[in-house]
Amino acid sequence: MTPKLMKASVATGGDGVVARVRGVVKKFPGVLALDKVDFEIRAGEVRALLGKNGAGKSTLIRILTGASAPDAGEVSILGHRLDQPGLSRTVEAARYGVRAVYQELSQVPEMSVAENLFLGRWHRARGLLDFREMERRTRAILDRLGLDLDPRAQIARLSPAQRQLAEIARVFLGEPKLVILDEPTSSLAAAQVELLFKAVRTLADDGVAVIYVSHRMEEIRQIASAATIMRDGRVADTVDVAEASTRDIVRLMLGHDESQDDVIAANPRFGAAPVVLSAAGVALPPKLERVDLELRQGEVLGIAGLLGSGRTELLGVLSGLAAPTRGEVCIDGAPQGNRDYRQRLRHGLGFTPESRKEDGIIPELGVDENIVCTNLDRVSEWGMLSWPRIRAAAEVIIQRMSIMAPSPSARIANLSGGNQQKVVIGRWVHAGSSILLLDEPTRGVDVEAKRQIYTIIRKLAGEGKSIIFVSSEIEELPKVCDRVLVLRGGCLVSEYSAPSLDAEELMASCLSAI
Amino acid sequence: MSMSGISSFSAKHMNEIGLVVIILLLYLVFGNTAHGFTSANNQLTILRDVASIGIAAWAMTLVIVAGEIDLSIGPMVAFISVVLAFMLKANVPLIAAIPAALAVGAAFGTLAGLLRAYFDVPSFVATLGLWSALRGLALFMTDALPVTFNENAFMERLADEVFGIPTSAVVMLVLFVVFVMIARYTSFGRSVFAVGGNANAAHLCGINVKRVRVIIFSISGLLSAVTGVLLTARLGSGNAGAASGLEFDVIAAVVIGGTSLSGGRGSMLGTMLGAFVITLIGDGLVLRGINPFFQEVVRGVIIVAAVLANLMATRYRGQRTIRGN
Repeated sequence: MTPKLMKASVATGGDGVVARVRGVVKKFPGVLALDKVDFEIRAGEVRALLGKNGAGKSTLIRILTGASAPDAGEVSILGHRLDQPGLSRTVEAARYGVRAVYQELSQVPEMSVAENLFLGRWHRARGLLDFREMERRTRAILDRLGLDLDPRAQIARLSPAQRQLAEIARVFLGEPKLVILDEPTSSLAAAQVELLFKAVRTLADDGVAVIYVSHRMEEIRQIASAATIMRDGRVADTVDVAEASTRDIVRLMLGHDESQDDVIAANPRFGAAPVVLSAAGVALPPKLERVDLELRQGEVLGIAGLLGSGRTELLGVLSGLAAPTRGEVCIDGAPQGNRDYRQRLRHGLGFTPESRKEDGIIPELGVDENIVCTNLDRVSEWGMLSWPRIRAAAEVIIQRMSIMAPSPSARIANLSGGNQQKVVIGRWVHAGSSILLLDEPTRGVDVEAKRQIYTIIRKLAGEGKSIIFVSSEIEELPKVCDRVLVLRGGCLVSEYSAPSLDAEELMASCLSAI
Repeated sequence: MSMSGISSFSAKHMNEIGLVVIILLLYLVFGNTAHGFTSANNQLTILRDVASIGIAAWAMTLVIVAGEIDLSIGPMVAFISVVLAFMLKANVPLIAAIPAALAVGAAFGTLAGLLRAYFDVPSFVATLGLWSALRGLALFMTDALPVTFNENAFMERLADEVFGIPTSAVVMLVLFVVFVMIARYTSFGRSVFAVGGNANAAHLCGINVKRVRVIIFSISGLLSAVTGVLLTARLGSGNAGAASGLEFDVIAAVVIGGTSLSGGRGSMLGTMLGAFVITLIGDGLVLRGINPFFQEVVRGVIIVAAVLANLMATRYRGQRTIRGN
């Protein structure tokens, strides 16, 4: 397959090319990660890079940053061919101006924003570190980004979104020519996404080429002019974002027509079903002002909340991880007053955290143990664990959740993010929980896994489980929810029910002035 | 077993296989160079020495898998031996004295665990404090003199053999089976692995992380006390200066056994083999008549080399398996 180059870039001629990849092949044991890939990006261009997990995006990025050397073909940055082996290859690429920000943060939490920015590239004055100069330059970069952060603030004390932005600030050091952002918005809410876009536009105006890896079409349309779609280690196509529909792009990603991307049939009639979880006037200042809500049996209740809207606090109060200063939470009509998190779990609650890697999976253990750990009594006989039972219980969940794992005992760390998330949800199905609190269950998960998760959630609701689905990716809520509450500034400001759920309306409600 | 079955077995147990090879090499080298190394008598000595490391090492494996550390082993053993000797000297009946000694060990362990779990004192610091305090207490109580007690048939039995095997080794083997079962077949055991792997996730799954953290130290104190009782029997007295540096042999045995110091991963069988490696090195060097000061040097080098060889072998094996698939 010969990749079709973008019309626009052909028009500008061959001079402005910042990075060129020609006929690159990269093999890993058992996998052809890149299969004769050609790729070109010009100065000042913002190019979206899309593809399912395993399509070859990450490998292409590693080839560009010099983290991997191709088995065949060549890579050149500003006309210089990368030819160093091993570690010096990344140094070489960085010298030509290649900068990358990965999904996984690479910061030292105990150090300040400024120290992290200059990590390994410290400023020295007379042999000693010149903190004042580093802080001054950090402030200049943060100002340019429009970020209200103290350069001396400790990274550990920042919110995930602030950390992500502090990481992005790194690319402004030195003279960047090609900046690669790998899913930079997965922990950002709309306001911060705007900040990031502004930063990207500043870069592009300065003639920097930007590669923007993302799964969010709405963002891509705002920021990128062209999109390169990868599939099975090849470039499927490069399209003009303005001319291609989302459906066209999804089709290129999956290689077949994507017909199920519709709103999943929801059930708006819940008036008669019993209330299983309710909150009356709960508050947890300063983030959570006052919230009243009712979750009915078999319902999927969406909570649309951008970062800082109070969603973390609301989930904390509902789950018992945090005690509200006012108000009351009831499960099945029973006030939860002093019951802590673990007691509520025994009363049918299940909670999946926002950060899967830090709080969700137990990486060294197998898929099986990651599933059954919520209820070990169910896999015990005579007070001892029964491994045949553990395996059987895990297989039930693996099947119900469509988890792709080589075997039930495979280490969960080796699974893709989507499959890990299915395990984290599935462990509460194993526990027999009837109320599931899901915090950003599709964060950092590819398109296909997202759809599978929606389907699973609808199926669980169909079986009578009641689900709260918290998301800042507003456009996904109409696909899975029966009813959506919008949380803004610590209060529920509006309510929408299926079938009149509309992503744009929800987003507008999330964004409107406080 | 099919070919792929064999290769997946060996991939999974690469560490243990490596240790068995090291043990065979030690027998080969010392058997040919150290006089009396392979004698039946020396095998019993080796078993006794393995027991003095091994019993505490079963608990230490859980402690390290949970992402913690216990430095108080040596002083705890000595302190318990002094406590027991005093009780026996005062003619407290054995049936009360031994459980009381074990309870004291468990109680001090629990104290360290409570400091860790409820006051967030790092276990390194909590048990370092205990390390110093217990040694000091034992020396203070005895003026550094051995505490002797009247002859006692049961204590002699403990120092002796059953069916030709040292009693301490029998105790060690019984406890080994118990701890293999705990690690693999109990909710508590699996919770230890979960807490060591990711304490946040374990908490959110409903595991009582604080309780796990307390209990591992209680168990560690208890097994140190068991070692203390056996040592008292072997020496025939309570000794405040005994078991000096034992904690390092115990930790080394666990780490050589492949348990990850960062928590979440480890095996009891590995620890058992690790205890043998440490003991065989010590025993062989003594029999070869190496200068005792220089023995420490050789031991240090061999311990690091053993862990290094194991890491390399595991890594190499891991790569082979990936390619094979």
